[in-house]
Amino acid sequence: MADTVNNAVEPRLDRRGFLKGCTMAAAALGLSEAMIPKMVEAAASAERPRVIWLHFQECTGCTESLLRSSHPDLARLLLDIISLDYHETVMAAAGHQAEQNLHETVDKHPFLLVVEGAIPTKDNGIYCKIAGKTAMDILKTVAPKATAIIAIGTCATFGGVQAAAPNPTGAVGVQDLVSGKPIVNIPGCPPNPVSFLGTVLHYLTFKKLPALDKLNRPLFAYGRRIHDHCERRAHFDEGRFVENFGDQGHKLGYCLYKVGCKGPETFSNCPAVRFNDVDVWPVSVGHGCVGCTEPNFWDTMTPFYERLPNVKIPATGIIDSADRVGKTVLGVTAAAVGIHAVVGIGKRLIKGKSEE
Amino acid sequence: MATYTKHHCWSLLLRLFHWMFALSIVFLVVTGFYINDPWTNTMIEGSAAWPMANMRYIHYLAAYVFSAAVAIRLFLYIFGNAQERILDILPVTGRNINNLFMTLMQYSYISDKHDERLGHNILAGLAYLFTFIAAIVMIISGFYMLFPEAPFWEGWGLALFGSQQFARYLHHILMWWFMIFAVIHIYLCVWNDVKEPEGLISSIFTGVKFKHKA
Repeated sequence: MADTVNNAVEPRLDRRGFLKGCTMAAAALGLSEAMIPKMVEAAASAERPRVIWLHFQECTGCTESLLRSSHPDLARLLLDIISLDYHETVMAAAGHQAEQNLHETVDKHPFLLVVEGAIPTKDNGIYCKIAGKTAMDILKTVAPKATAIIAIGTCATFGGVQAAAPNPTGAVGVQDLVSGKPIVNIPGCPPNPVSFLGTVLHYLTFKKLPALDKLNRPLFAYGRRIHDHCERRAHFDEGRFVENFGDQGHKLGYCLYKVGCKGPETFSNCPAVRFNDVDVWPVSVGHGCVGCTEPNFWDTMTPFYERLPNVKIPATGIIDSADRVGKTVLGVTAAAVGIHAVVGIGKRLIKGKSEE
Repeated sequence: MATYTKHHCWSLLLRLFHWMFALSIVFLVVTGFYINDPWTNTMIEGSAAWPMANMRYIHYLAAYVFSAAVAIRLFLYIFGNAQERILDILPVTGRNINNLFMTLMQYSYISDKHDERLGHNILAGLAYLFTFIAAIVMIISGFYMLFPEAPFWEGWGLALFGSQQFARYLHHILMWWFMIFAVIHIYLCVWNDVKEPEGLISSIFTGVKFKHKA
């Protein structure tokens, strides 16, 4: 529901909202109802974990989607259960005061580190500087002291749009620079705030990070392909497809596979959890998935409205679909075979049949 | 009038491999094209035609036959008869290197001399070996897409391809190799059968080749 009375401005979180938020996170995590009181207890405990939130090469979209969710309880719950000591977008402190807060937490307290945005590494990382220090340096100072690291968004996990070819700034994700620390990747452009909240609450309740897949994404949120939970899946199996945006099939809600939906190769809980508490996600409103939770999605998932990336043949400037390149090569092969046969026949006509 | 003697060349298992491989590829390519770009559209709702589900089902059945065929070939590369083992087609001995050279000369019409040997010539053997490796990549990428959540395939798939989408892309591009290979393979078999009457084409049914009597 739209926030018509501007509840978001009200700083206090009521009990109802608090329980709703915890229940939502428990549902996303796939926990039983019996676990909710335990989670509530953990979230309500007086000792709030300190969190440092670093922004590097990014658009702040991940923070925005978290703070501006139509359901303000989610953001307020999060801000209520953690002590957000440093967050460039929402902190009240500025300048030296902000820097002091950062260093005090880093030096004196255990903390969780959240990173939003990619880290440029080319030319010693000069393409992203905060307070005169490069993103690389900041991460190098802060990361080793964190108890655990949550990389939020595709930029912090896999480099995102900055790392798309030709990657001019040498941008990489956190896991490429930091080792020896537990890292949770929550990719997406932006990721669902519930996936982030679920990870934090799991950590608070069980004192450990949730189970991860091989790309360090929490399985509760990234364990299934979008295609396998999609509400349009039956249309796929039955062969009912949208041929063009706006056609009859599109109006009837058919499968978006032929207009380039990347649901079959993308892992996320979008079809189950959906966004903004109004039960929508891209496919439900008629646009295919673009695969934003996958590594290098800007390179491998584009063109967004085709099934497969184009073939680029180096040094020729040829960029074409795999099938057109394949047909050409097959045609050339057939022509070569024909020429070979003609040469053989010609040679025999000239030289006469060899004796066997 | 030349006289020929009959030689047993291909084991029953190899012939079985060949036809499992060839026929499964036909089904895989046809259904694979459909899966990538379904050219039908089920206009009548409730018709329960399930074309995509059926095409995928045939694709997976053919894929298991294809995988079994590749497993058989792997076994034969190690434990097959003299013509089937991998060392017979690798250009590692003087005789094999010479055969590779002579085959290239003959195929490019520079020389008419034919290096007589019972098994594959080295050029063909290398093309088959490359296709065998391409087939293994197809199997791994295919199973990675079919069972993305199984730890075994997830591990291998991610290590080799990095993402589902890249596996799909490679799977699609390599399919074209199998079609190109089929064109060249069938042409050269006919060509050889015309040039050297050793019963090359019938040998893949009977296992028998004919050689000049020494």
